[in-house]
Amino acid sequence: MPSRRHLIQAAAAGIGVVTMPGWLAGCARPSAAVDLAAPLPTNPFATWFGVDEPLLARLLTELGKNGATFADVYLQHTRSVSISLEDGIISSASASIDQGAGLRTVMGDQQGYAFTEELTIEAMLGAAGTAASIARGTAALPRQPFVVNEASKALYPLATSWGDVGIDARLPILTALERHTKALDPSITKVTVNWGDSEERVLIATLDGRMHVDVRPMTRLWCVVTATKNGQTVSNSANLAGRRGIDWYTDENLKALAKDAVDRTLVLFDAKRPPAGEMPVVLAAGASGILLHEAIGHGLEADFNRTGTSIYSDLVGKPIASDFVTIVDSGVEANTRGAIAFDDEGNPTESTVLVEKGILRSYLHDQISAKHYGVKPTGSGRRQSFRFQPLPRMRATFMENGPHSREEIIASVKNGIIAETFTNGVVQIGAGDFTFYIKNGWLVEGGKITAPIKDVNIIGNGPDALKKITMAAGDSKLDAGGWTCGKDGQGVPVSQGLPTVLVSSMTVGGVNG
Amino acid sequence: MDEATLVERAQDVVERAKRAGAQEVFAVAGRSRSVELQRRDGATERLKEATSRSVSVQLWVDGRYSSQSTTDLRPEALDRFLADAVALTRALQPDPARLITDPALFPKSVVPLEVEDPALVAGLDAAARERWVEVMETEARRNDRVISCTSNLTFRSATGACATSNGLLGQSASTDIWPSVEVTLRDEGDKRAADGDGYGARFLGDLPDAATIGKNALAYTVARLGSAKVSTRKTTMVVDRQAAGSLVSRLLSTANGASIQQGRSFVADKLGKAIASSKLSILDDPFLPRGLGSRAFDGEGIAARALPIVDKGVLTNLYVDTYYGRKGKLAVTTGSASNRVVALGSKDRAAWIAAVGEGILVTSFMGGNSDANSGDFSFGIRGHLISKGQIGAPIGEMNVTGNLLSLFAGLSGVGNDAWRASTILTPTLVFDNVQFAGV
Repeated sequence: MPSRRHLIQAAAAGIGVVTMPGWLAGCARPSAAVDLAAPLPTNPFATWFGVDEPLLARLLTELGKNGATFADVYLQHTRSVSISLEDGIISSASASIDQGAGLRTVMGDQQGYAFTEELTIEAMLGAAGTAASIARGTAALPRQPFVVNEASKALYPLATSWGDVGIDARLPILTALERHTKALDPSITKVTVNWGDSEERVLIATLDGRMHVDVRPMTRLWCVVTATKNGQTVSNSANLAGRRGIDWYTDENLKALAKDAVDRTLVLFDAKRPPAGEMPVVLAAGASGILLHEAIGHGLEADFNRTGTSIYSDLVGKPIASDFVTIVDSGVEANTRGAIAFDDEGNPTESTVLVEKGILRSYLHDQISAKHYGVKPTGSGRRQSFRFQPLPRMRATFMENGPHSREEIIASVKNGIIAETFTNGVVQIGAGDFTFYIKNGWLVEGGKITAPIKDVNIIGNGPDALKKITMAAGDSKLDAGGWTCGKDGQGVPVSQGLPTVLVSSMTVGGVNG
Repeated sequence: MDEATLVERAQDVVERAKRAGAQEVFAVAGRSRSVELQRRDGATERLKEATSRSVSVQLWVDGRYSSQSTTDLRPEALDRFLADAVALTRALQPDPARLITDPALFPKSVVPLEVEDPALVAGLDAAARERWVEVMETEARRNDRVISCTSNLTFRSATGACATSNGLLGQSASTDIWPSVEVTLRDEGDKRAADGDGYGARFLGDLPDAATIGKNALAYTVARLGSAKVSTRKTTMVVDRQAAGSLVSRLLSTANGASIQQGRSFVADKLGKAIASSKLSILDDPFLPRGLGSRAFDGEGIAARALPIVDKGVLTNLYVDTYYGRKGKLAVTTGSASNRVVALGSKDRAAWIAAVGEGILVTSFMGGNSDANSGDFSFGIRGHLISKGQIGAPIGEMNVTGNLLSLFAGLSGVGNDAWRASTILTPTLVFDNVQFAGV
């Protein structure tokens, strides 16, 4: 149903799934020497998109012709490269160029939206006229001149931008990762490596006279392992992702990724399904932040609260968890997938405290909901591309350190499980029910880890699960995996993190007798 | 731009790519027009319109292969794009299994598919769209507990053309339309009950009327009020036709050349053997009139043909494309599914519920996943208890766990009520002895 919000690890092995962007060496780019901070009309971004300040003003005038509380022009150019190594051969790659303009007129809670891939004046003006048809009032004129902001370079600085990296520089990384992986165990029969990199240029011009430009890099490296022993075949994968450059793929990082992928795979030979039913669940530090994403993150996106559809709609200012629970959604965690210098409506991002010492403090706002609630936007208005209107979205969602230790948490569990790696999760906003799927974990009996487990779904209820966080350790960390959050048919890159946490009871989809 | 122009564009890309150095080329040019209207709580919330176009191309250069796409279609930009594409391809490693589709597999004649509705090519005018979302919303709001109601109508008209360096010229044109309603009701405490209804079709005339969709959306949501989990148990599972397609999709998820050649398939050694009880038969039917997955040829130009996938429980065909066919020494069929049509049984959902007596009715699956090598699965569910042959209390926050092969071995009943708003046309399915986890 449309109200479901999904979180997936971007599809692992296979064909054609990858749309990660990236620049090819030698393609048309503005000279590397241009100063991105230079004021218009010499702004290279405007030049890049073939627009200038008068044209942007004309588009905004068209967007506001029937009235508007807000309007924006979103210009985007993304280049992406994906490469795969399979059966020892790098025999497939794909590259894409995706460029276009999204034009939006906002009138209160109402939005008119149109996009075009053709960056001609006629096509963009036509789209602006379509978007403007949502309103029926008197014209709102754009404020000029534009105040130009260049996004902070500090969040994802690259030594070498992807545009300056040749295809031949990428290939040895795939080969090295395969070699490191195969060397780890004789039972490994197949290794597939999938690579993705991209560079996205955006320019946002708003009716209230702001203009923002940014270059957003992204890369991901995925290692899929298949192993066979005594007639049993198992497979699993691990990946590294972030707003990083090629220098991130050091031999040390490649070896660590290989080991992670192999460890997750080989443990499956002996893994079993746990028993079915309610039991304590220990969430290992890192990727277990999927709990926060599903149990509370989506429920605090302000669009669901503005419409009263979230189970959290009436809970701001109220205690919803133990006093050691502080949950943050941040756009400023450098080099993470969720990092974003300003959001896709041109608002600066921040670190938003959602839950402070157990008290629910804030929703995640876009322009529309901030206006509705009379608060400052939190910089959470994000979109998949120029083809979509922005929505309140998460960035990097994590919980801060708690007072306990991992050892004492595990020791406190009589019969339960530890959840360690995950493939996907989902939440039903109104009821608050959420699930996530555990690929690897451990059985805990009598306070001790006794056996590996695999392939179980966990289901819980958001507010209920938060109340049942009874312990949290001091080892909080963000996961470096390639998480993508889906909402309303739009996928955006996110990050998540958690310290080791005990949820005293959730329903585990195991098997009895 | 009409289809002739798209064909010319695709042919032009083939020529340009060959000039840039490619030996073989598969080019696709597409164009689509879409309109979305969303109404929430009495007012238009979103109106979105766009015309979209793109070009994608697969290249074979000196025994090497790559695929590329762009939305920048200016001639000078295309030439630069193709030159870069050829250069990228040359940097890769040669792979003898990478070949363009065998021309013997291309379609020999034009097949009428009935997938383009002239009424949707023309588009619904503003008044007609607004009437749709308003009527759906009005019907869905007829309850004191309504907190919010969102109704949406999206329709699209798409045309495409492909051309290859080895003789294929193909065209396609289709339309589709998707009305849907989401309802949120006040439940106990802070809880909300949320659900909805939606439908999709190639032809406007195949849709249920707007009032029916709105009424269903409200009825389904009212049925969720007071949902709770029940005790952990093994019992009979009746799966509603709207949810059953996802199980069929999981069962067939590794019945393809890539999964088998890569050693990640729980049906790798099952061709010609049972993967389900004899109640299950599935036909991949690309010629289904007005089908959402109907097509004259697949993504690599292979002519459509009806393909029995499962016959009385036995796996009879795999999805195999040119590359994995050659690499894995498997017979090439098609790399992707069209319409998967599950053969019907004799009873509808109500009759199966009556026949089952006690069990759990699953109306939707929520999250979860399955393992490619073992077929082990675990999914969240929402649904109802079945008690004394009737639909009982709503249940949620529960999991169902097992193995896909053993689950389908226990398929004991198939409905006569296929869900047509999908490329997997599945009726109600009944499974014996299924593990549910709850309290």
